[in-house]
Amino acid sequence: AAIGRAGAMAAAAAMVVAAGGGDFSDLREIKKQLLSVAERSRERGLQHSGKWAAELAFALEPLPLNELPPPPVLTEEDARDLDAYTLAKSYFDLKEYDRAAYFLQGCKSQKAYFLYMYSRYLSGEKKKDDETVDSLGPLEKGQVKNEALRELRVELSKKHKAQELDGFGLYLYGVVLRKLDLVKEAIDVFVEAAHVLPLHWGAWLELCNLITDKEMLKFLSLPDTWMKEFFLAHIYTELQLIEEALQKYQSLIDAGFSKSTYIISQIAVAYHNIRDIDKALSIFNELRKQDPYRIENMDTFSNLLYVRSMKPELSYLAHNLCEIDKYRVETCCVIGNYYSLRSQHEKAALYFQRALKLNPRYLGAWTLMGHEYMEMKNTSAAIQAYRHAIEVNKRDYRAWYGLGQTYEILKMPFYCLYYYRRAHQLRPNDSRMLVALGECYEKLNQLVEAKKCYWRAYAVGDVEKMALVKLAKLHEQLNESEQAAQCYIKYIQDIYSCGEVVEHLEVSTAFRYLAQYYFKCKLWDEASACAQKCCAFNDTREEGKALLRQILQLRNQGETSSTDVAAPFFLPASLSANNTPTRRVSPLNLSSVTP
Amino acid sequence: MASVHESLYFNPMLTNGVVHANVFGVRDWVTPHKMALLVLLSELGRAGAQLGLLERRRLNRLLLPLLQGPDMALSRLRKAIEECCPHLAGSVHIRLKLMAEGELKDMEQFFDDLSDSFSGTEPEVHKTSVVGLFLRHMILAYNKLSFSQVYKLYTALQQYFQKDEKKDGADENEMELTNPEELDGKMEKEELDGPLREEEIACSGPLSQKQAEYFLSQQASLLKNDETKALAPASLQKELNNLLKFNPDFAEAHYLSYLNSLRVQDVFSSTHSLLHYFDRLILTGAESKSNGDEGYGRSLRYAALNLAALHCRFGHYQQAELALQEAIRIAQESNDHVCLQHCLSWLYILEQKIFDSCVLLEHSVNKSLHFGLPYLASLGIQSLVQQRAFAGKAANKLMDALKDSDLLHWKHSLSELIDISIAQKTAIWRLYGRSTMALQQAQTLLSMNSLEAVNVGVQQNNTESFAVVLCHLAELHAEQGYFAAASEILKHLKERFPPNSQHAQLWMLFDQKIQFERAMNDGRYHVADSLVAGITALNSIEGVYRKAIVLKAQNQMSEAHKLLQKLLIHCQKIKNTEMVIRVLLSIAELYWRSSCHTIALPVLLQALALAREYSLQYLASETVLNLAFSQLILGIPEQALNILHMAIEPVLAHGAVLDKGCAMFLVAKCQVASAASYTPQKKIEALESAILNLNEAKTYFAKVDCKEQLRDVLYFQARLFHTLGKTQERNKCAMLFRQLHQELPAHGVPLINAFK
Repeated sequence: AAIGRAGAMAAAAAMVVAAGGGDFSDLREIKKQLLSVAERSRERGLQHSGKWAAELAFALEPLPLNELPPPPVLTEEDARDLDAYTLAKSYFDLKEYDRAAYFLQGCKSQKAYFLYMYSRYLSGEKKKDDETVDSLGPLEKGQVKNEALRELRVELSKKHKAQELDGFGLYLYGVVLRKLDLVKEAIDVFVEAAHVLPLHWGAWLELCNLITDKEMLKFLSLPDTWMKEFFLAHIYTELQLIEEALQKYQSLIDAGFSKSTYIISQIAVAYHNIRDIDKALSIFNELRKQDPYRIENMDTFSNLLYVRSMKPELSYLAHNLCEIDKYRVETCCVIGNYYSLRSQHEKAALYFQRALKLNPRYLGAWTLMGHEYMEMKNTSAAIQAYRHAIEVNKRDYRAWYGLGQTYEILKMPFYCLYYYRRAHQLRPNDSRMLVALGECYEKLNQLVEAKKCYWRAYAVGDVEKMALVKLAKLHEQLNESEQAAQCYIKYIQDIYSCGEVVEHLEVSTAFRYLAQYYFKCKLWDEASACAQKCCAFNDTREEGKALLRQILQLRNQGETSSTDVAAPFFLPASLSANNTPTRRVSPLNLSSVTP
Repeated sequence: MASVHESLYFNPMLTNGVVHANVFGVRDWVTPHKMALLVLLSELGRAGAQLGLLERRRLNRLLLPLLQGPDMALSRLRKAIEECCPHLAGSVHIRLKLMAEGELKDMEQFFDDLSDSFSGTEPEVHKTSVVGLFLRHMILAYNKLSFSQVYKLYTALQQYFQKDEKKDGADENEMELTNPEELDGKMEKEELDGPLREEEIACSGPLSQKQAEYFLSQQASLLKNDETKALAPASLQKELNNLLKFNPDFAEAHYLSYLNSLRVQDVFSSTHSLLHYFDRLILTGAESKSNGDEGYGRSLRYAALNLAALHCRFGHYQQAELALQEAIRIAQESNDHVCLQHCLSWLYILEQKIFDSCVLLEHSVNKSLHFGLPYLASLGIQSLVQQRAFAGKAANKLMDALKDSDLLHWKHSLSELIDISIAQKTAIWRLYGRSTMALQQAQTLLSMNSLEAVNVGVQQNNTESFAVVLCHLAELHAEQGYFAAASEILKHLKERFPPNSQHAQLWMLFDQKIQFERAMNDGRYHVADSLVAGITALNSIEGVYRKAIVLKAQNQMSEAHKLLQKLLIHCQKIKNTEMVIRVLLSIAELYWRSSCHTIALPVLLQALALAREYSLQYLASETVLNLAFSQLILGIPEQALNILHMAIEPVLAHGAVLDKGCAMFLVAKCQVASAASYTPQKKIEALESAILNLNEAKTYFAKVDCKEQLRDVLYFQARLFHTLGKTQERNKCAMLFRQLHQELPAHGVPLINAFK
């Protein structure tokens, strides 16, 4: 752990330096550090960081009395500022920031100075938000800014140059820089803050928000502490590097944090991101058991329940959350999902709107609201909602996809291509966009492009298992019976390997086509096997029987070379050996321009 | 996870899931700049009769741009007023100073007094005048302000005033005003503000909705009519981004951004902006309840149509067709005939790229007239005429059609189409080879007063028709040997249509063509050859043709022949008759240059037939000249003279100077050749008239500086004088010939045998 500054040393004197290199051998030590940093964060009004540390500390074994961290030693300066600090802190807790700042003027101790600056910052933020409501004209609303930021930046940079800032001060400096859109400087300062005070989760979290890709992460020199492991796991989740994130979290659990609700929730979110719904659901259920009054991440949980159409569970969750706190974004979102599942889309939209009123930067709600408007057939409102979502975050692939869907519903297949392409660019390996693109191309009669899309969708792992059927049908249309048959075979193999045959109507179509195909190729054994399979489905039963009869006739006419009438069913075992499509995944090169 | 500092945030503009840009219903609001204007207006009223007439007029002219334009700094405003009336500027400043340095109640009083100007038996300001409307808007906006907003406005006014004061007094009393501590802080600030500064300069503050609308419409019309006067693409985009940052719902800005991206040929951002615009438009359409569902479906159709237009512009014809199909389908489903007509016109444009289809166009014209779309109908007529002209339909009918469409234009005051129609006529006359008529039409357009009185400052519009007409004018002048005038016109074109603008390619092509012709006349073939590449880049067919001509001039016959044959086949395929005839003429020339006159004859006859069929009169006469020459060489000069009589008139009336010279030279040759069989008396007469004709040819050649031809003429003339026994004249000609012959390299082709 690198603490190179005298000022910071003095501040950190009371606590033990964090252990290095992801070393989790001494959990007691870690717990001590967590407890002490939670206390120190609380003293400075940094409640979220304090909460995080406390949560993590709670997951570890309790300490005996003699090992509890001693109360922080007060320095001479602290003692001098103690009265002002105590008064200001109480004002601060009551959200009277200006008043707090006034009484802290001239305080020299680190703690009081931080609280002084922090109250000024928060006061500016609060005024900014108030002013947005009360600005002179609607066009001016983008202009409202936190007036205090510049002054704060000037003062903090002076202190920074003189190396008088401790970890918390650096963190505040970084926040100010970020708010002024000075991203590069902000990152540098946050990294410095992480070095000086690795235990402060807030600095790490801010860093997470500023790092946009893996390359940036590589070039950061981060302190080598156990906190870094948490940071890496978190940022891997943010950057959608789910495999790495899950590994990190697993190793954290193995190290002794198995009871941490934070880690459990993060793992659940990660599984949600890779659409492993069952695992995510079970983890969320576990989380609910351990922390029944938790509201964070419950919107993700409700999304999962929604996808699985688990009405009673979702209803229970919604009521439960509503009892805990009905004016939280997450609660509104859960209730919205609940109404949506019950097909009460007006109410659902209302709740998403409420979520947005509570926090307009809550991105997911815009998209979800768009979906609701789509359900209500209010396409124009849906388009607006999606556009808003895109405005908040250009990389929101669901909104692009939603826009595409809207235009597809309006029967504008060419128009929606653009939107689907955008979505596809953002999620190149998501089969849903590719299937949607393929469908559009099919509607536009651009079959070559459509084939490319379907094949690619299959190649990247088709979620809905529809790409192959569609591809097969295309081949059928183009009289490419060989490829069509291969696609159907592959499709059936896929379905059977999953083990859920019931829901797929297309299986019968596949068997019917295969039966006819083999019949044409005069492969009687295979044809009869497929025809028999056809008989298992209602819609193809008659055809199957007819085909069987024909096969029997033809066989009797010709010499009965193959005696074995009841050929063993070859699918998926025997045929797969030689008949699987061997085409390699061609790079997706859609000929059209992709603006 | 949400940021740590997420505070509760309430957005009043959000109701029912729809963000209203205009929650207060205010299109305009009070800013310090507007207050300064109000002060100016009230001072203006107070000054009353004291102002001189001139000052008053200047002020009135100043007022409108001030009322409509964006906010500006006080110093700039003061300067603007000072230029009109220094006295008034002083009093405005004093009143602002009193208000800014006084108390809040001064401002309140000011607004209370404002409404007085409407009262009284004879009010100073009429309620519905421009100024009156502005005043009432401002009073209304002020009355709607909440308590805190009023105070905010007042502090803003103080800052606005102080900023100006500071700038004034910066140099004099800096030391007194600022104590050391402040100075320190300021320095720090300046040092730190470095990276932010540039951005601040760029955005001069938010525009009110009215100002923004004015800005957008102004820029859009400039883009359409006179691109050079609009903001540069980069800075316009910056302004638009700024506008959108403050008000993302301002859909029109997206459209302008689309137009702006088109200027710089940026497919990606133009598509993005276009789609964004229509996404936004659909909303506004849905909100207008008067149209019900209609308004919203309508924008969908036009969205698809515009997308088709975009793809067409970038040359993605297949994509354009798909988009167009979509637009047509939706329009058909909702029975929107107007939209369908637009689609039909676009369909024609698209199909044109693939094959000719008059049928579509005729339908389009009929239907458009039926649905009362004069613009579309007239555009249809224009393209129909153009197409028919190329297809060789009767000229009188075409001119009739153009006349009819002109009637339509004048009836509906479609000034843009009037311009197009005249430009079209110029081009058609040129095609038919009537240069005088073309010249007249071109001059008509240039000296016509535009119907649009909006742009008082801008006399003429920089539209495509003007570019076309000017280009033709330049070429016509060059043909007559007025190279200085031609280059003057080209210079003007360069100024009006800078190289990166939309119609610049036109003049670039004409410029190179003129240069090419000059180089060919001077016999500088290497120069001409270097120009071919440039021409090819702008027009490939023309380029290939010119390449062949250069090869021909350099005596590389077989290469030239190969090239011309290829070109001929291509042109016949795409039905470019004009070029076919020109190529045929060149091929014929190749043949007679290789002394194969008998082969040349059928080629020439083919060309003549084509030219007659398509009524390309000038090309026909040129063909006749060639034909006559062939006949001369084949030993039937009498026959040649006969058909020359047919051609000589149009050539002299409409031809280029060079062609005139050639024609006269040829006439003289024929005269001499046919004189061989005459009686001596008649022979002398014939020879003398030949000498006269040669003199005329000489003047023509001298005009375009064709030394080679001049030399040939002199040689011929000397021989004639010799035959006539006029030694003195003969010697003079011989001397001139000798001079020229020394200057020029010897020519491969025998002198007399060359016609051109």
